[in-house]
Amino acid sequence: MSGPEARLRRMLALIPYVLKHQGATFRELCEVFGVTREQLIRDLELIFLCGQPDYTPADLIEVSIEGDRVFIGMADYFARPVRFTPSELAGLYLACSALARLAGPAASSALHSAMRRIQRAMGMEELSPEEVEKSLEMATPDSREEVLSPLLEACEEHRVVEMEYFSYGRGELTRRRVHPLSMEFGMGHWYLHAWDEMSGEVRVFRVDRIKDLEVTKERFTPHREEEAGRKGTSTTPESGEIVVRLRFSLALAPWAREQALFSEFQEEKEGLVCTLRTDSLSWLERELLRWGTEVEVLHPPELRERLRRRVKGLLALYAKRSGRRRTDESPASCAP
Amino acid sequence: MVPRLSAAELSSSPRTSRAVFVELIHTFLYSRACISAAVRNMPMLASGGDKSLPGESGEKRVGGRSAVSKLERLMNLIAMLLEARRPVTLEQIRNSIPGYQQESAASFKRMFERDKSELREMGIPIRVEPLDAFGEETGYRIPKEDYYLPEVDFTPEEKVALLLVHRFASGGLIPLSREASSALLKLSPDLGGANPLGGARPVPVRFDHPAEALEKLGAFWEASVRRKTVRFAYRSLGSSKPRERLVDPYGMYFDRGAWYVVGHCHLRGEMRIFRVSRVESDVVLEHPENPGPDFERPPDFRLSDHSRVLPWEFEEGAPQEAEVRLSPRIAWWVERDLGDIYPFRYLEDGSGVIRVTVRNEEAFCNWVLSFAEDAEVLSPPGLREAVRRRLRGILRGLEGGRDVRS
Repeated sequence: MSGPEARLRRMLALIPYVLKHQGATFRELCEVFGVTREQLIRDLELIFLCGQPDYTPADLIEVSIEGDRVFIGMADYFARPVRFTPSELAGLYLACSALARLAGPAASSALHSAMRRIQRAMGMEELSPEEVEKSLEMATPDSREEVLSPLLEACEEHRVVEMEYFSYGRGELTRRRVHPLSMEFGMGHWYLHAWDEMSGEVRVFRVDRIKDLEVTKERFTPHREEEAGRKGTSTTPESGEIVVRLRFSLALAPWAREQALFSEFQEEKEGLVCTLRTDSLSWLERELLRWGTEVEVLHPPELRERLRRRVKGLLALYAKRSGRRRTDESPASCAP
Repeated sequence: MVPRLSAAELSSSPRTSRAVFVELIHTFLYSRACISAAVRNMPMLASGGDKSLPGESGEKRVGGRSAVSKLERLMNLIAMLLEARRPVTLEQIRNSIPGYQQESAASFKRMFERDKSELREMGIPIRVEPLDAFGEETGYRIPKEDYYLPEVDFTPEEKVALLLVHRFASGGLIPLSREASSALLKLSPDLGGANPLGGARPVPVRFDHPAEALEKLGAFWEASVRRKTVRFAYRSLGSSKPRERLVDPYGMYFDRGAWYVVGHCHLRGEMRIFRVSRVESDVVLEHPENPGPDFERPPDFRLSDHSRVLPWEFEEGAPQEAEVRLSPRIAWWVERDLGDIYPFRYLEDGSGVIRVTVRNEEAFCNWVLSFAEDAEVLSPPGLREAVRRRLRGILRGLEGGRDVRS
C-alpha cells in the first residue's frame, strides 16, 4: 500500500473515530492508528482543509485541539468508515481464525463471538467458516490454554509467577521466580518477556519450555528499568560475546541460508560458512549433534573440544547394551 | 454573504498553516460567521507550528503554484459525492473541487478517471446514475448506504481479541494480512482505545515475526479456497535450480516459523508439501479464464493429517518402530509435543519412553541427537547403530580424519 493511499484510508477511519470518541487524546489516536504525533497533526491539518463546496470556513470540517484532546465537527457525512471489500472481510476472518488457533481456547471464545458478530453485520456470502477451517492450519505445541492464559493474566495483573523452566541454553530444568511483563508470538513460538529474579534482568522465555507454573498472590510493581530492559526480540539472531563460525556442506547450504540464527554467510568452494553470535555454547553443541557430519566447526576451538568430549560421552552411552540398566538410572547420569 | 475562498487562494504557495490562518482572518473581516471556525481552529494551528504542509506524492506544481494536494482533492471528492442528494455532473465536480479547476478539460477528465478508479479499488462505491428520466446525462454519487460500514457493538473481551488480531495481522505473517489490517482500521471507531478492559497499559501481547512473502501466501490461500490449480517455480532443498510445478493446493499450514502448502503435484503425480519460502516465482492461476473450481479435494482430506508429518516420517522408506528413552529433564516436553501422535509412557523415575514411526533414518538421528545425553534410542538395534555411526562420523571430523572406534 503506497503512502498517500494508506494516509487516505487512515483519514477516512480517523474522522469517524473522533466523531464517535470526541476528545480522544493524542496518545490514544497515535496508538490506535499506529502513527507518530507529527503524522497525526499532518492528517488533522489536511482534514481541516476539506469539506463541502464552496469551502468557506462554514463548509469545512472543524478540527480543534484543546490541550491534548482532539475534536472534529461538521463532518457528519464521514460518520462511518467505508464498508469492507470482499478481500478485507476474508482477510479479517482468516486473521481471527489463525489467531484463535495460536492463542488457544481461552482467547478464542471472544474471537469466535467477535467473528460471528462481524459476520452478522457484514454478511459473508463469499466465504464459509468451514472453508477457512479446511484450508488453514496454524497450531504450535505451546498454544496451550493452561499456560498461555494464566501468563497473560499475570502480565496484566502484575503477579509474580513461579515456574519450572527448561533452559535450552544450559540444557537444565531450573526453578525461577519471574515478573511477567508481556507475551510475544514470533518465529512460530510464544515467548514470555519477564524480569527474572535469579539473574536480575529481563529475560525471554519460550512458553513451550515452561514445565509447570504457578501464578502467586504476590504482586510486583513494574519498574521502568524492567520495562525498558527488554532484550532485543527473541526472534533476532542471538547476540552475544562468542563468535562462532560453521561451515555447512553444499548439500545443507540452502537449508542453512534459511535459518534466522545466522548473521552472516560466506560462500566457499567446500561449503557455506555461517557466522552467529551467542552467549553460551551448550545449546549449540546439541544443534551441532543434530546437524551431524554436514557441518564443521571452524571457530572457536573451544567448541570443537567441547563437542568432541560430548560425542565421546554419547558413544560410551551407546556402547552399553540397552535395556540392561536399572529403570531408576536416567540416561543423563551417563553423561560425562 | 460569505465570500468564497477560491482554489487559487487555498492553494497559494507556500501553503503554510499560518497562511491558511491568515486567510481565515481575512475572511473574518467580511463575515462574523467565520469567527467560530477561526477560533476553534486556533489551538490546532498553534500546535502545528507554522511549518509548511509536506507535499503529497501526487502533488504537482502548476504555473509556479503548488497544486492542491491529491489527498485533499480525493477527500473533497468523496465528501461531495457522499453528501450529494442528486448525481453530480462532471462539470459540477470540475467547477467545485479545488485541484480540478485549474486543469484543462482534457487533463481534468484524465485526472478524474484516475481518481475514480483509485477510489473504487479502495472499495469506495462511486455510482454512475442518470440525471433525468431520459438517461441522456449521467452524474456521480456515493450512496451512503453502500458506503457506511454497519456499526458493530463489541463486548470488551471481543474488543481485546480484535485488537490482538490487529497486532497479529500488522506483522504480516498470514495470508491477506494487509487486507485484515485494513478491515480492522475500519473497525477502529467501534473498537475504541488501546485497552478496552480499562487497564492503563496496552494489552501486553506483541507479535513479532519476519514478514512472509504476502502475495504468495495470499495467492495460495485464495487458490485453495477457490480450488484453482496454480503454477510456480519451486526450488526443493536438494536441488540447485528451481523447477516449474503445477499444483492443486488443498490447504496450507504454519509450523515453527514457516508456511507450507499441501497439494496434489502434477509433476510427481502425488500429494506433496511445499515450503512457501522456496517458491521462487509468482504464483499464477493455471486456468484464470475458468471462474469455477479446477479440482476438488479428496473427500477424506484432512489438513491436520499432513501438518504434523514429522521429518523422520517424511520419506519413502519402509516404516520401523523405534523406542526412545527420554530423561526426566525433557520427557514432559516431548510428551507435550508428540504425545498426541505417538504412544508415550512414563517410567518411575520420571523419564519417558516414546514409540515413534521412522521412515527416514537421517532425520530420526537428527532429532534424537538434538537432545544429546537426554535421549537414547533403545530399539531397534539398527537405529541404535545408525546413531553410533553418526557419532563416530562427527568424531572423525573433529579428530582430523582418524578412524575412531568406541
